[in-house]
Amino acid sequence: MGELQLRDVRKNYGQMEVIKGVNLDVNHGEFIVFVGPSGCGKSTLLRMIAGLEEITGGDITIDSKVVNNLPPVKRGIAMVFQSYALYPHMTVYENIAFPLRVERLANDKVEEKVQAAAGILQLTDRLLHKPGELSGGQRQRVAIGRAIVRAPSVFLFDEPLSNLDAALRAEMRVELAKLHNTLDATMIYVTHDQVEAMTMADRIVVLDLGVISQVGTPLDLYHKPRNLFVAGFIGNPKMNFIEVTGKQATGDGVIVTLPSGQELTVKVSAHGAVAGKTLTLGIRPEDLTIERADASIEVVPNVVEHLGIHTVTYSAVEGAKSTFCSLLPGSAAARVGVPVAMGLNGTDCHLFDEAGIAFERQLSVEKLDPAAMLV
Amino acid sequence: MLHKYRWYEYVLIYSGLALFLTFVLAPFVEAFVVSLRPLSGLFSIPYRFITDEMSFDAYFTMWENVPLLWLYMFNSFFIATVVTVLGLICIIPAAYAFARFEFPARNTLLGLFIAVNMFSGAVLIIPLFKLMQQYGLLNTYFAMIAPGTAFVIPTGIWLLRSYLIRIPRELEEAAWVDGAGKLYTLWRVIIPVALPGIVVVTITAFITAYAQQFIFALTFNSVNELNPLPVGLFQFFGRQTVVWNELMAASLVGILPVLFVYVFLQRYIVAGLTAGAVKE
Repeated sequence: MGELQLRDVRKNYGQMEVIKGVNLDVNHGEFIVFVGPSGCGKSTLLRMIAGLEEITGGDITIDSKVVNNLPPVKRGIAMVFQSYALYPHMTVYENIAFPLRVERLANDKVEEKVQAAAGILQLTDRLLHKPGELSGGQRQRVAIGRAIVRAPSVFLFDEPLSNLDAALRAEMRVELAKLHNTLDATMIYVTHDQVEAMTMADRIVVLDLGVISQVGTPLDLYHKPRNLFVAGFIGNPKMNFIEVTGKQATGDGVIVTLPSGQELTVKVSAHGAVAGKTLTLGIRPEDLTIERADASIEVVPNVVEHLGIHTVTYSAVEGAKSTFCSLLPGSAAARVGVPVAMGLNGTDCHLFDEAGIAFERQLSVEKLDPAAMLV
Repeated sequence: MLHKYRWYEYVLIYSGLALFLTFVLAPFVEAFVVSLRPLSGLFSIPYRFITDEMSFDAYFTMWENVPLLWLYMFNSFFIATVVTVLGLICIIPAAYAFARFEFPARNTLLGLFIAVNMFSGAVLIIPLFKLMQQYGLLNTYFAMIAPGTAFVIPTGIWLLRSYLIRIPRELEEAAWVDGAGKLYTLWRVIIPVALPGIVVVTITAFITAYAQQFIFALTFNSVNELNPLPVGLFQFFGRQTVVWNELMAASLVGILPVLFVYVFLQRYIVAGLTAGAVKE
């Protein structure tokens, strides 16, 4: 089993509040990713679950046992560190066997478990090497091996791939996802890389300044970000934000006035009054089109990137909070200095109120769970 | 950095090195040459470095003239070794605690250790003598070992602590997560990883212990059989003559253990002094 509950978990460093009351339920077998910018408290939260940081308030429960004051080994967790934290003087075999040696397990049992772990991680022919002789990816696998021999309830990963190069990172991502399926274990994974979060997670926990901004499946977060922070953080390139004025809420959506004076009906359900309020319209670069659409924004690209599959343009736009980015098909005609009319459709847009809270979007089910159409 | 020295820069560097080495090594060379010459050839005027009838005789006769010489050498080595071992037993856990644990007055204590180092051993000779007399410890190995150990500990703690601080904390956290206790981690993880640093401390402690035993032996011990070499060498001072050639021969032979320790462990010193300086 591997169930985890966080109840109003808090952490202070002196006067500084780092974790400000986190509530979270993790079911057995879930792959949960904590994601957020640096300093948001994601690593601290993970270390609190691991038992490496004391918690100031609240309760952490693993398999219906409150573990607040238990040492890590009694919590039934195993952790993989960012720097691998391998013991340089021991062979790969002894590194993986270390937790079993601590338990004083009989030699034949140790042999059996280490061989099993090495088999899963394809390290069998590396067992007699020292960590110094291994590549980054192999070292990472040894660190994972050390975690799986103990068969913990919950695996904790602290930015495990951030020391690897891009190609290896992509490879390890797939391996970790496979491992998750093989082991049927609960995994909690910390990263600042939203691609890792989107590709691996069952559910993503977005943290911002010590509070949970939103919890949800990757597509949930992508299509229905709850606030400006999540909208800006999930998705690459970032969502564009434009200041608009609310005009009227109808059954069909909210009518807003763009800086250019055009009107657009955004397919969202309004909460509270919108008329005359300054709202924020969000549109993902990949949702912009150069074909006819509900409304358009005139942009003059100052940088154009041709990636073959896509053409990315960057421009300065009136009312936009930062550089306005568009992701167009590779065949799109875009050139620096030549004005383009970017079309946006009301169904693709996000709308946020003055406090940055999203209006609920009206979305079809298949967008949130494309696999549901298979049944 | 790409930089080639000019020829005159080489000349300057090498003459500087030569000057320095001459000062350091000249006494040893002179000691060696003296040990080769017959006693009669030592006091010629004008002084001559090379004389007739040079031989290694002194290296054989010294054992006959001072029959306990081998015992003095053994005592020296024994005292220095015990001081080093006892010192390390105290230094390693203490340095680890100072490097890793937060506790009240940690920095004050560290400062005190440095302060102790600023006293010369000689200042404490009389109080120590009184103390040993009270407890009836005079004329034992213990009387020479205990103060020696006390004096190697502060330097050792400072040296090793600075090495231990550089060991990544995640190694200990990983061991802690895997269920290892503090002592298990110290023994199985920290000590092996810190071995180069520990070797540096070992050498420093051994050399200090070897060098400082003279003053303790001279004051706290009057049993001939327990004397270390530096005190034992006085046996070569006769009523009328000093047997200089044998004295020098015995001194040189007495340095050998230190030399062996140094040669054997010196590859660790270089590794230890530079480890962690460059990111791998």
